[in-house]
Amino acid sequence: MTHSRLTARRLALTLFAVFAVVGVFVVKLVDIQVVRAGELTAAAEARRSSEVTVWGDRGEIVDANGTVLADSVDRFDITASPKSVKDTTEMTVDGEQVVVPTTEAVAKIAEITGAPAADLYAALTADPASDFTYLVKSVTLETFTKVFDLDIAWVYSELRPSRTYPRGAIAGNLVGFLGTDGPLAGTEYQWDECLAPTQGTSRYERGADGVRLPGSLVVEQEAVDGGTVHLTIDSDLQWFAQQQLAQQGTALGADWGTAMVVRVATGEIVVAADWPSIDPNDLDSVSAENSGARIFTAPFEPGSIMKPVAFAALLDNGLITPTTPLTIPNSYTPPGSSENVTDSFPANNARWTATGVLMNSSNIGTVMLSEKLTPQQKYDYFRAFGFGDPTAAGFLGEDGGIVRPPSETSYDTATLATQMFGQGITATSAQMASLYQTLGNGGVRMPLTLVSGCEQPDGTWTDVPVPSGERVVSEYAADTTLQMMETVASQGSLRNVISIPGYRIAAKTGTGEVAENGHYGSERIVSLATVFPAESPEYAIVVTLGKPDTMKFSGAAAPVANAIMEQVIKTFRITPSTEPAPSLPLTW
Amino acid sequence: MSALPLASPRPSRSTTTPRRHLEVAPTRAARLARPKLLPAIVTISGIGVILLAQLLLSIVLADGAYTIAGLQTEQRDLQRQEQALTEQLEVLSSTQNLTANAEHLGMVASGNPVFLDVSTGAVSGDPTAAGGSLTGTSGNQIGNSLLTESTLVDPVPTAGAGASSSAEDSPASGGSATPGASTPGTIPSPTTR
Repeated sequence: MTHSRLTARRLALTLFAVFAVVGVFVVKLVDIQVVRAGELTAAAEARRSSEVTVWGDRGEIVDANGTVLADSVDRFDITASPKSVKDTTEMTVDGEQVVVPTTEAVAKIAEITGAPAADLYAALTADPASDFTYLVKSVTLETFTKVFDLDIAWVYSELRPSRTYPRGAIAGNLVGFLGTDGPLAGTEYQWDECLAPTQGTSRYERGADGVRLPGSLVVEQEAVDGGTVHLTIDSDLQWFAQQQLAQQGTALGADWGTAMVVRVATGEIVVAADWPSIDPNDLDSVSAENSGARIFTAPFEPGSIMKPVAFAALLDNGLITPTTPLTIPNSYTPPGSSENVTDSFPANNARWTATGVLMNSSNIGTVMLSEKLTPQQKYDYFRAFGFGDPTAAGFLGEDGGIVRPPSETSYDTATLATQMFGQGITATSAQMASLYQTLGNGGVRMPLTLVSGCEQPDGTWTDVPVPSGERVVSEYAADTTLQMMETVASQGSLRNVISIPGYRIAAKTGTGEVAENGHYGSERIVSLATVFPAESPEYAIVVTLGKPDTMKFSGAAAPVANAIMEQVIKTFRITPSTEPAPSLPLTW
Repeated sequence: MSALPLASPRPSRSTTTPRRHLEVAPTRAARLARPKLLPAIVTISGIGVILLAQLLLSIVLADGAYTIAGLQTEQRDLQRQEQALTEQLEVLSSTQNLTANAEHLGMVASGNPVFLDVSTGAVSGDPTAAGGSLTGTSGNQIGNSLLTESTLVDPVPTAGAGASSSAEDSPASGGSATPGASTPGTIPSPTTR
């Protein structure tokens, strides 16, 4: 009786133990196979598989002729694994495997890369337990190949996509540049969305030697290269303009210079030159203040090259004709103002026509004629010509300048008068070029374009500007203003510098006073604007030199404008004028 | 008792002839179920062949994987090489380099352009002699930090190469010296497409 009970208990205990053990196994099995299945599978896959980034190339920036201004290149960072570095190193020299002291191997890398051997040695010994350190950054393929031909076991590499600017400082102001973390300036920044590539990934299982296991491709996302940004500029002409600015600017001790050439019919910017201009390959090539594009971003008081606005507005309203007579005193006080307006040289009651006023660039004459316009009309014409707003070129950080509204000029009567000759109003060189484009295009202002589109890698174009002109003044007003401006090139004091035999040129000089600390000092910003050939204009040019030391009037800018015009004629094969210029009387 | 011998009319078979070994005749199914050598050999060798084929296949695949890896590396290297050469070409074709080389070879800036209107024969423009430097006395002022070493082409070997190639090309240039037939008022044009 007791014996059988003991047997039953022993049996129950054994069964319980068996079930307990099986239960533990079941729980563990469920845990592994169901609960942590995903996690474990991923971990297993990660052991065998590796994810590789497939780099897409950042797009190019090219000029109107396809000349590459910014391109992507491969650079290589040479890295090392300090913990694998021993006292001796095996390396291959001239096809022979030799064992040398590690210092000798380091010296060899230093010799090839040009990096100081001490730096390399410091990088290797800084943390001997680490598996990764940079030895030399951003070497070219040539250097990289030489280093890897040494076949040193502890040397590795990383691809570093980089940027190169094959034209150097040509259009460097427009192209901009990249920093270590991305675009910092200019078109590189503004058009990053077009230029930036989409990085792809390729994920596969691989064996110990890094070769892909057949049929194990897990995921692949193709890399997409960036698009190409097409600028409207001509890089050779751009170089010529920059070169001319540099020569003249250096000769006259100017602080800076800009030159813009605009195709009159379309508003395309052919040249937008800045001097000094940054070489994007070498960010230290100019000071920070010169590293941008002053031509778009730095408004200034332009002076007399603003006068054609007044004349075009007056002609547009039928308030003057080219022969409207005027007697110019030596000094003039606009009604309601306490400040005198003077000219650069006294006119001594000269009897000038409106054309004579423009040719002699008389401030007094311009102010007297402009009184026929209301403050609101003056403001509206300035705004219609594009002043006060950034141009349609849409350059990064573009400035629109300042035009005082009638609410301000109604009590600031001095500015109401002076803005007609370009003081008390600010504009960028690009806006001034837009003004002359409008006058050359029969009064229709075309939006300035700097980028003709983004060409995607598949060949389609996006962001192509659709130019739609806006009439600012009548064709009569625009054409007549140009005819009046022709007298500057044919009879003005700079005629010998500006004129080109055989070509009719409409020109306007400008010597803007620079306000410093609240009043005008001795510094000047001098300009020359031309539109040619005057009978059927093709190009408008505005050249500006900032704060020249030795020649503080527009004669300083004239030789540059003349040289650029000649080069434009050669480049675009502009045929000479066939009709003579109308002779407009300057005096009465 | 007397009937006893009669009771056994047939002598016992066991005593006269040895007892025959008897078996149940196999049914058809049983006969088929009996192991046969030939199918066994065929099956086993078949499995062997399949395993061998699979082995060979994976060897070929693995070999292919190495070939692919090798070719991909080669493609990458060639692409890098192409890019490096393009980079060099772009620098050499830069305006700065071309200007420096042109002036080094003694080239000068062209004069005013003169235009010939082929339909009327009229000449327009104010011709001036070519001369002067494009970069002026101060030289090129628009820097390019990529041009670190001198890339000036030595004019002497270039002239020699030009002379020898023009000598080789003489039959072709002789051909082009004969003007194509043209009718007055039109522009003579080559017929090559």
